[in-house]
Amino acid sequence: MRGTLAVARTSLLRVTKDRRALFFLIVLPIAVILIIGATVRGFSTIRVGVVDLGAGSAGRSLTVAMQRAGDLDVRHYATISAATTAVSRGEVATAVVLPAGMDAALRSGQAVDVAIFADRSNTTQQAAAAAVGSVVAKVGARVQAASFASSQAFGTYEADLRTAAALQQTNTQSRVVSRVVDSNSQTLPQGFSYSAPTMLVLFVFLNALASGAVIIETRRLGIYERMAAAPVRRSTIVLGETLAYFTVALGQAALIVLIGAVVFGVSWGNPVAATSLVLLWALVGAGAGVLSGTLFRTPEQASAIGPPVGIALAMLGGCMWPLSIESSVMRQLGHLTPQAWAVDAWTDLLSRGGTLASIAPKLGVLAAFAVGLLALSMTRLRKVVAQR
Amino acid sequence: MTVAKLAAAPRTAVAPEPTGPVLSCAGLVKRFAQRTAVDGIGFQVDAGEIYGLLGPNGAGKTTTIKMVCGLLDADAGVVTIGGRPLAELSVRALVGYVPQDIALYPDLTARENLAFLGRLYGLRAGLLDERIAEALELTGLSDRDKDRVEAYSGGMKRRLNIAAGLLHHPKLLVLDEPTVGVDPQSRHAILERVQALGDSGMAVVYTTHYMEEADRVCDRVGIIDRGRLIAEGTKRQLVSRLGEKDRIDLVASGDLQALAASMRGVTGVESAAAAADRVHVVAADGRSVLPDLVEAAERSGATLTSVEVSEADLESVFLNLTGTALRE
Repeated sequence: MRGTLAVARTSLLRVTKDRRALFFLIVLPIAVILIIGATVRGFSTIRVGVVDLGAGSAGRSLTVAMQRAGDLDVRHYATISAATTAVSRGEVATAVVLPAGMDAALRSGQAVDVAIFADRSNTTQQAAAAAVGSVVAKVGARVQAASFASSQAFGTYEADLRTAAALQQTNTQSRVVSRVVDSNSQTLPQGFSYSAPTMLVLFVFLNALASGAVIIETRRLGIYERMAAAPVRRSTIVLGETLAYFTVALGQAALIVLIGAVVFGVSWGNPVAATSLVLLWALVGAGAGVLSGTLFRTPEQASAIGPPVGIALAMLGGCMWPLSIESSVMRQLGHLTPQAWAVDAWTDLLSRGGTLASIAPKLGVLAAFAVGLLALSMTRLRKVVAQR
Repeated sequence: MTVAKLAAAPRTAVAPEPTGPVLSCAGLVKRFAQRTAVDGIGFQVDAGEIYGLLGPNGAGKTTTIKMVCGLLDADAGVVTIGGRPLAELSVRALVGYVPQDIALYPDLTARENLAFLGRLYGLRAGLLDERIAEALELTGLSDRDKDRVEAYSGGMKRRLNIAAGLLHHPKLLVLDEPTVGVDPQSRHAILERVQALGDSGMAVVYTTHYMEEADRVCDRVGIIDRGRLIAEGTKRQLVSRLGEKDRIDLVASGDLQALAASMRGVTGVESAAAAADRVHVVAADGRSVLPDLVEAAERSGATLTSVEVSEADLESVFLNLTGTALRE
């Protein structure tokens, strides 16, 4: 045990003396949390594709109504085919087709079919279709009122339509305002509550990968050989190095949690669950870091390849944008990475008031990743220590 | 003198007093794939004795001492330290290993490096501080103990590398080519300290391919070539194997391999080998064969710059035994 602590202590001492490492461990994550937290907004906005086949002024009114609805982001497509392709690619959540002659049909009191494209099995698309449907219904009510008034010789259709629209705006109506309380939100809250947990996941893993260079340098200097000549077992050396990586990962995660809470006002959710998640993520990071040190041949390789790999995994795992806005294929692919499970667990804790029990399955997957990575990396490091 | 202090200092608790030879190894064999790097090497080293392993690069010296230090598992053979098998982990506390590389963290200070290695050998708190101060004083680095190792000169790094092997007061110190790449002044200082350690009662194994180093510091020398210990003894014993023979060094330019080959055909020449800018020759009577050697040089087209005849030494022994020079 003393040998393990001696190895870990020295490795940690080296980290504290490395200004570049301290920059990547502390300064950069906090800066990125600040920038992303201040800029990321609007993952709750629903993108809607609109195809206007010649609907006239009624179509334009409907489009304007959708644009004015706060949660809808309207994008125009020339053909139905282009719009449905955009839906299938996930570029828009739903598509609305405004038919030719819509305005004339409404004026003559005929019913008009407004087609809304959405996948029945996709809850996001269904929610988008429902949001669009409510706007269509609102505009439809306005049209019905104007048609009724003009049919009763109370002015022209255009004038009655304007009156109906104005009445809709000024009349006090009952409104339902939703707030996130144990909801089914698939994304983290916006702002720093989004950037802090995702950047914690990203940077702890990324820095661990890059710091594999330390193991490579120790091997190249012949220090493992020197350690192996001492009256300590190889497993003692391996444990010491792994403990150092775990401590660095845990320290970085704890610092982000602390600064997130104190400076950025992030509420990290259930403390026991959040602590468990941080501990497991530090173990995953330690495993990845030690593995990196045994996979690359030179410190330069680890420093150059580690960060891009860490960023790519973070992208796949939903650290850069929510996986809920991705296609199902990308979501499944993303969940091959530990990052996706960690972000899911944070989403549960921060957006849905999750508990240790509710994130237990995700912690289980992360524990499996940690055990796998640590077993593989420690076995490989043992071989590195034994190399002569 | 600091060496006296080192000898008088208390031993590490885990190290029992050895009886008989400090180091005993027999029949050591190490194979790497199809190549046999060490083939049946065995020797003993007593307390206070400096034993030199002399041989050219690639002869098997480093492989041998790595087996002695437990860094490589031997395919065959036995190593005991103080009468105890090396397989016992605590036995390693009896050995101080100074690798050929500067195996120290360049971004840590000398004191921090020594503290780390001392802890690995079980030194704690006050005793650790005491041993660090002692090792730094012994190697003349006390005034630079808080400097990062990366700021040290090559010679200072070498000295600190040795200090790290002495912290725990080993019974056996194993030095693997400790003077490689250092300036003459630092080399002289290192050799002096190694001699002092031997005088203090420590058993020392010293590997080198520099004949003059083995000649100067070693009480006994084992000559290794192609993984085999081909001769062993004191310098006097080894040289006496040659009888009353002379060594002739001919500094020359041209095809020295061809020159050495032609000189081997000269009557009275026992061996001849090219090394760097010269040809080493061993002959029963150096002065009598000299005219024939000069004639051989003219025949082979080489230009002789200088000729020196001297008594046979360890290099002559190696040349005589192997037909090659130590440094080719």
